Amino acid sequence: MRRHVALSLLAVLLLTIQISVSQTAETQDPKITVMNPRGIQPPIRLIPMPERSSLEGKTVYIVDTKYANTKPFVNELHKILQERYPKTNWVLRDKRGMYMTDDPDLWAEIKEKAVAMVMPIGH
Amino acid sequence: MELASTTAYKKGIPNLRITYTPHPITDRPADVCRKFLEGNSPHSGKPLVDEIIEAITRPLSTEDKKTGFIMREARPRFLPPDTADNLQQLFIDSNFTDGGPVILPTEKKVKEMLEATSHDPDEVVGTMRPSPPHEAWEYTVEMVAVNAVMAGAKPEYFPVILAMASTGTSSLFSSTSSFARMAMVNGPVAKEIGMNSGIGALGPFNQANTTIGRAWTFISKNLGGSGKPGETYLGSQGNALSHNNLCFAEAEDAMPKGWIPFHVQKGFKPNDSVVSIFSGWSLNNIAWYSDLTYQEVIKNWLSHFFSYGIRQATLFIDPVTAEYLYNQGYDSKEKLASWIAANSTTPAWLYWQRRAKQKEMGEQGVEPYASYLKLGEGAEIPESRYLRQTPGQRSKDPASAPTAGRPFSKDILEAENSIEIVVVGGGTNTYFSGGDFSHLSSANVDKWR
Repeated sequence: MRRHVALSLLAVLLLTIQISVSQTAETQDPKITVMNPRGIQPPIRLIPMPERSSLEGKTVYIVDTKYANTKPFVNELHKILQERYPKTNWVLRDKRGMYMTDDPDLWAEIKEKAVAMVMPIGH
Repeated sequence: MELASTTAYKKGIPNLRITYTPHPITDRPADVCRKFLEGNSPHSGKPLVDEIIEAITRPLSTEDKKTGFIMREARPRFLPPDTADNLQQLFIDSNFTDGGPVILPTEKKVKEMLEATSHDPDEVVGTMRPSPPHEAWEYTVEMVAVNAVMAGAKPEYFPVILAMASTGTSSLFSSTSSFARMAMVNGPVAKEIGMNSGIGALGPFNQANTTIGRAWTFISKNLGGSGKPGETYLGSQGNALSHNNLCFAEAEDAMPKGWIPFHVQKGFKPNDSVVSIFSGWSLNNIAWYSDLTYQEVIKNWLSHFFSYGIRQATLFIDPVTAEYLYNQGYDSKEKLASWIAANSTTPAWLYWQRRAKQKEMGEQGVEPYASYLKLGEGAEIPESRYLRQTPGQRSKDPASAPTAGRPFSKDILEAENSIEIVVVGGGTNTYFSGGDFSHLSSANVDKWR
């Protein structure tokens, strides 16, 4: 019985030592310094939005970016806005080129002639 | 939603008014689109048209009127010190890696990498963006070195990695279609650094092939702002080829007589070391034992190959197959590519898919479309997809279409051919593989030594 208790105490002692050693190892795991892998992000120039106004008697452009087979959606958008807001001039226009191509001429035209633009983007 | 709001933010309109439709809108008939528009936004639950009107009429807030710049968070050269295990997890959690652990970029390791180039650590290598509408990030030689270390690259690979970074091409192009990118190395450097161009060259068997390709992923994510799913990476399914971006060397020594290395085809000297960048989506791997010649097999395969990219191809010819083709009379890559382009056809269903106007012309009796229509839906239209013809050319002269079997001048076949040919493989049998890859650019490695 005494031998049994002694062995148990020894087992507990060994376990405690083991836990203590592993905890020490963990706390002593050295810290290292590494270099930043990220690049340089550019600053963002804020573009103020144009003033809002009533749409009555005004022109709003709907711009189609021409993603493949999305024409029915853009056409329906144009129709529904015309039906619900007939006092607004809704102009439907295709953007130049593929959907990622810039079209500065169209943006200039919209700035000159319209109060706002609605552009469906996505697939 | 995250994509729309973060894009607006980076474009300088953080409060851009956005509403959301049910998704997708592609290929939806008008009545379904009408229902979408008459319904509610799946995001806010409010009527969609009301949201559009509210967006373009609601008065501006003080925030909306702000001008000036949003400055980005400072970029410290070092990260805060931590244990190796914690840093590994930080790198994975921060999306700095491909999901796996990396070699941690200590200053010592980065310095060793930098010793492999004569360029100043602070020299700007280039800019990169996930796709054209996104912002471009800038990076220096030292920043590229950090990512090369992370990928497990040896310092001697560094000039190749710098040349690759100098192209400004992200390996993780952001498109819902899940692009893949490819990097092929030519010239003396391939041997110097032990790249594999033989058995298993396209597989995971070589440190240089693997880590240079992996470095491109890290560069794209960390220096090119790419690879955050939902924001700067939109590939719906992703692309398995993106894991090491098909990085290998061309088997220049195993080419038949008269076939020249890819970089020489693109105007470099044979002794130049060059990395060439390609873009595409998918690959097929083929061996076809039959009584057909291999050029016939390749031509038939390209006639019927269908993927997201249908107008360009890159063939990966095993040296044994290249020798076979040489013995068939194709004493140059260009001759083989020209023959395939001139003789391949297009399945009728695919041909008419994107030619509504031509179909209408055919129905009105305009040739050659009238004759093509008579061939029926299951026919092969005798026009190659691999000879570029602009819509302008076609509308001016429909009969100028590149009809299969028709004699073309050598100049047209070489200038308008969209088939690239590279030689790679160990010569274990008459294999070839290929897919919808096109050549984007090539960069001189020697400039970065």
